[in-house]
Amino acid sequence: MPEKSSVDLPVRWNLSVRPDGTGKLEFAGELDAESTPVAWRSLESELAGIKVAGFEIDVRQLVCDSAGLALLYHLSIGGMTPGAIVNLTGLSPELQHLLRSFSKEDFQALQEHEPTCSSFVEDVGAATWSWLCDVRQQIEFIGEVTLGVMKSLFRPRLMHWKEVFRVFEVAGVNALPVVSLLTFLVGMVIAFESAQPLEQLGAQVFVANLLGLVMSRELGPVMAAIMLAGRSGSAFAAELGTMKVNEELNALQTMGLSPVQFLVVQRVVAGILLTPVLTVFAMYAGLLGGIPVLLGLGFPLRMVLHQVQSGLHFGDLAEGISKSIVFGAIVASVSCLRGLQTGEGPRAVGESTTRSVVSSILLIILADAIIAAVTYTLRK
Amino acid sequence: MNGAPHSLIEVRDLTIGYGDRLVLEGINFDVRRGEVFAILGVSGSGKSTLLKHMIGLYQPIRGDVVISGASIVHAEGDERLRILRKFGVLYQGGALFGSLTAVENVRLPLDEFTDLSDFAKDLIALSKLRLVGLESAATKLPADLSGGMQKRAGIARAIVMDPCLLFLDEPSAGLDPITSAGLDALIRELARGLGITFVMVTHELASIYSVADRVVVLDPKTRGIAAEGTPSWLRENANQPWVRQFLKREAA
Repeated sequence: MPEKSSVDLPVRWNLSVRPDGTGKLEFAGELDAESTPVAWRSLESELAGIKVAGFEIDVRQLVCDSAGLALLYHLSIGGMTPGAIVNLTGLSPELQHLLRSFSKEDFQALQEHEPTCSSFVEDVGAATWSWLCDVRQQIEFIGEVTLGVMKSLFRPRLMHWKEVFRVFEVAGVNALPVVSLLTFLVGMVIAFESAQPLEQLGAQVFVANLLGLVMSRELGPVMAAIMLAGRSGSAFAAELGTMKVNEELNALQTMGLSPVQFLVVQRVVAGILLTPVLTVFAMYAGLLGGIPVLLGLGFPLRMVLHQVQSGLHFGDLAEGISKSIVFGAIVASVSCLRGLQTGEGPRAVGESTTRSVVSSILLIILADAIIAAVTYTLRK
Repeated sequence: MNGAPHSLIEVRDLTIGYGDRLVLEGINFDVRRGEVFAILGVSGSGKSTLLKHMIGLYQPIRGDVVISGASIVHAEGDERLRILRKFGVLYQGGALFGSLTAVENVRLPLDEFTDLSDFAKDLIALSKLRLVGLESAATKLPADLSGGMQKRAGIARAIVMDPCLLFLDEPSAGLDPITSAGLDALIRELARGLGITFVMVTHELASIYSVADRVVVLDPKTRGIAAEGTPSWLRENANQPWVRQFLKREAA
């Protein structure tokens, strides 16, 4: 007769198989969340080779918690002795009550419910469909915002100018130091990097021209817009997303107010007003960043300023400023759209914030490419 | 009283507050093993704050909370973890993790604290869900559950590690009377069937009379305990008229 017990466990058991094909398992000690996993594994291996018709489990000497009960339940439904009629004796009424709440059927239902992997075709279809829906929503949204801005232009009383100025301050004025610092450093880097190749051509003095052009036409507006997207666009999306989660948007709608008119238009108008300001600061800071490098290369300040002046035309500045207005509108409206699209649950706001930054930057670069192509053709 | 062997929680000279503002000053009471104990009071009397001090979320200004012989105020590290494992908490909104299904929520403590097999963990989690009557909603996300179901799932998660003590923060808040009565029945069943001690904060009189063995009533004016006893005795015999009125649901 096999007889085994474990020494270092708080629980001991005594397994015996009688010649008539019935088995008996006596437990003593404590089956808790720590001892159960060990007991489970050793019992499984002990019972693996044994075939019994009837099986009696005696738990009069046993104290157990839910983990232990799970083991007893598994034993009692013949989980380790397939085919045997199992009889569990000595369980206290309290634990019997708990044992009744265990159910194999529930477990099977859970297994059947495990989400299955969707096929590749389904995934592609779903992704395409959601992309198309998103495009449709964007077009509708552009229409709604344009309409809202127009309305506000013709009837300025409709606008909440206080809110516009608040956004202008938070997203514009407060962003000036960081935007200036960023472009100052970028200007320095460009001056350093271009000084060497231009020196080989004997044209080092044209670093100033290059800096003026690249800052006013390209990097000024783009850097300002990217900073706006990361710093304020994400805040717009999070703010509107939280309002959606808190049902504040529903409250607006039932009051008969359009969330676009009430929340988005102000932000878009503020965005359009503040990006040119940010951009001008970015342009100057970029140029200022290049000047120490040029002075270090031995050019006098007056010469540098003259080079910048002669290389820059009003058209370059106008291009930069008009670009920045487009970027401002893009960042503000896309971020608000992502905020309004926020779904349910705690992750939704985070997701829409991420989406706002990604979409904003993507659209900024896309718009930049289109404008660059158009202005190149126009200049020819 | 006075730290009798059958008391599970001893609150001693507890003074709590936010910054300079005192909420409760020098209060003392005991929770006995196996009883359903309710903390009552008007809005703003510091019921929920008291509960959060009893479960060790906040540090009191002075005094001590002792849970089965160990102070939760002074315990640190493993000692503190050992006390925390003795009780479960149901927060006001259920506080289920929104990205996990009901059964995954209930399974979470098992996943973190035990070496049980997935099969055993699922069996235990599902048995707790069946205990609270949610076995058919196991795979649903919290967002798809009603308020009452979320609280039931919250209770299932709170009892999955077999605590001897359960704290409930406003279990009936935001529930309709029928769902609320169902929750009361569940509390009674868990208290009688499993011998769990309950400490609940509530101002739902119906559930106080149906489940609570003893109550303390907090007094926002004196920042102390106005009365302590069984709810039906206090309703007739409390010293302060406003406590009797409060328990009879009359306007003061």
